[in-house]
Amino acid sequence: MGSVEFNHVYKYYKGESNPSVHDFHLTIEDGEFLVMVGPSGCGKSTTLRMLAGLEDVSKGDIYIDGKFMNYVSPKDRDIAMVFQNYALYPNLTVYENMALGLQLHKVAKHDIELRVNRAARMLEISAYLTKKPNQLSGGQKQRVALGRALVREPKVFLMDEPLSNLDAKLRTQTRMEISKLHKQLNTTMVYVTHDQTEAMTMGTRIVVMKDGNIEQVAPPQRLYDSPDNLFVAGFIGTPQMNFLQGTIATHDGEYFFENKRLKLKIHDSYIPHIKAANRKIREVILGIRPEYVACEGWALEAYPEWQASAIIDMIEPMGSNTFLFATIGKDTVISRAEPHTPIQIGETVKLVIHMDKAHLFDCESGVSLAVRGDR
Amino acid sequence: MIRKIRKQMTLSRVVLIVFLSCIAVFMLLPIIFLFNNAFKPLNELFLFPPTIFVQHPTMRNFEQLLLHTAAGVVPFSRYLFNSLLISGITLVAVVLVSTMAGYVLSKHRFHFKRLIMALIMISLMFVPETVMIPRYLMMSGLKLTDTYFAHILPFIAAPVAVFLMKQFIDQIPDALVESAKLDGATDMTVFTRIIIPLTAPAVATVCIITFQAVFLDTETSMNYITNETMKTMAYYVTAFTSNVPGVAAVSISAAVGLLMFVPNLILFLLFQRKMIQTMLHSGVK
Ligand SMILES: Nc1ncnc2c1ncn2[C@@H]1O[C@H](COP(=O)(O)OP(=O)(O)O)[C@@H](O)[C@H]1O
Ligand SMILES: [Mg+2]
Repeated sequence: MGSVEFNHVYKYYKGESNPSVHDFHLTIEDGEFLVMVGPSGCGKSTTLRMLAGLEDVSKGDIYIDGKFMNYVSPKDRDIAMVFQNYALYPNLTVYENMALGLQLHKVAKHDIELRVNRAARMLEISAYLTKKPNQLSGGQKQRVALGRALVREPKVFLMDEPLSNLDAKLRTQTRMEISKLHKQLNTTMVYVTHDQTEAMTMGTRIVVMKDGNIEQVAPPQRLYDSPDNLFVAGFIGTPQMNFLQGTIATHDGEYFFENKRLKLKIHDSYIPHIKAANRKIREVILGIRPEYVACEGWALEAYPEWQASAIIDMIEPMGSNTFLFATIGKDTVISRAEPHTPIQIGETVKLVIHMDKAHLFDCESGVSLAVRGDR
Repeated sequence: MIRKIRKQMTLSRVVLIVFLSCIAVFMLLPIIFLFNNAFKPLNELFLFPPTIFVQHPTMRNFEQLLLHTAAGVVPFSRYLFNSLLISGITLVAVVLVSTMAGYVLSKHRFHFKRLIMALIMISLMFVPETVMIPRYLMMSGLKLTDTYFAHILPFIAAPVAVFLMKQFIDQIPDALVESAKLDGATDMTVFTRIIIPLTAPAVATVCIITFQAVFLDTETSMNYITNETMKTMAYYVTAFTSNVPGVAAVSISAAVGLLMFVPNLILFLLFQRKMIQTMLHSGVK
């Protein structure tokens, strides 16, 4: 049992006029794997540290398992945290590192042994139990840090960028292991990262943050498919979503996205949103993911009303597919193409922009037109 | 193995090692001289030109020392006892105070922390002479003159030690302390299980500098103590060597010189490795 509730939480650091965390309001269900993601300095760590009790809450309430936590000291919150630089005690062996928390909670000695050994086996660190942390590699230290949290069997696991000190390969591997661990244990985890890949692959739900504000909370696929605003749209997904500036125009009752070089018919499914937005013509930004910008012949034939001509600037073969960097006027558009594309740099091509997958954002506020006022 | 050593032995290295060895031997000379002097019979002490090594070692100098009583009543052993007692208590007190203060100043957030740090920094700048008279007024006001407190209390306010400990504890990552707290540790547990083991080199350094300062201090005995039985060995030695004329003084001072030196040596040998660590990288990575 480990639900967490943030009730309009604010954090003002001493001497700072702007809040580092602004109106953080969220309920985390028991057993959820919640990922907080956002650029560096957006307040993720601060939020996590408030939950851990390492920072005071300036305003608002935090509940763990229904209990009011604001004034409970960290050691009594029944949580375990994994830090970015592991924070292993250098003077203790791996075994002692993992056992310390249990000793301090007065767990019986044989029980400690049992739990440490079980966690060590799970994380494949049994061979290092007698070593000191400085004799371990980064990946091994990381596992010990995880193990130390694991043996505690807490209500909630907190992790603050635990993988950012590992190299790419190890990161992918450990990422999967943490996900697996979560499935086994089914304990609530709150995971902080600035890496959107980690967020997408691990989270059952993702909180995107920016400048202390929550931008959107949604499961990974929802976040990808229907971002609430420009920031989320640009932050999630590599390569980034393409953005084109323009206006919405009506011709003979039909809606079009227009700018100097483009005139694309807006898909029927989007028209209710435009109508609901309830202003006639306005500046908008069109967002389209690279996989929905096509250059293949069949697409050109199928969607004549969604075409744009572009000049190919650069080609990035990734092996499994190729990214084409094209310019339409001043804007750069990335298109995901087949791996063996015959297209050459400098060529002028026709691109199909799949308007049924496009997003329209209000130019001023950056909010998606698909987001209604009630949200 | 040998080949490996040979490979490292470039000419410049050899020159450097020889040069440094010479300096080391030269630095060692006074110590060798001190040890030998203490065991020289009277005639060898007055030998000219003086020799470094003793030819007929004898314990006579120490016998003289033990028999000698200053001011006619106080035996030498009383001074020795005073010195060891005062140094011991002060050492323990300073280590306790400075490590705890260092931990709190480094890892806790509280009001007036910057002010307190500033005060400690300022007190670092005072020359001992400037505080001598105010200190005397405080001691006599508190009626602590002629007590062991007069020896011990002034040394417990050790800004150097607090500052050193704070700087050293600063290098322990905050995450380590936070992690321990989440593990269920109280401040006392963090302090004893994490902070102290990780700052052992700094503690050793504090021990050495404190012991030297206290053990070699003569000012306290001179200024705040009138009762001869409450004075220390360091005072006895300076007073003795500068006041007592005659042949006997030379033999006694030879013995007492060694006695003054030995506790320092023992402490240094005990903590030397740790202390060198402090100087080398003074850090916990
Ligand atoms: N101890 C502190 N004192 C003052 N400001 C802080 C402190 N810690 C963090 N901040 C500020 O709070 C904001 C959020 O920081 P943080 O939560 O660490 O961001 P993130 O973990 O998302 O990178 C940053 O602008 C940072 O400058
Ligand atoms: Mg952070």
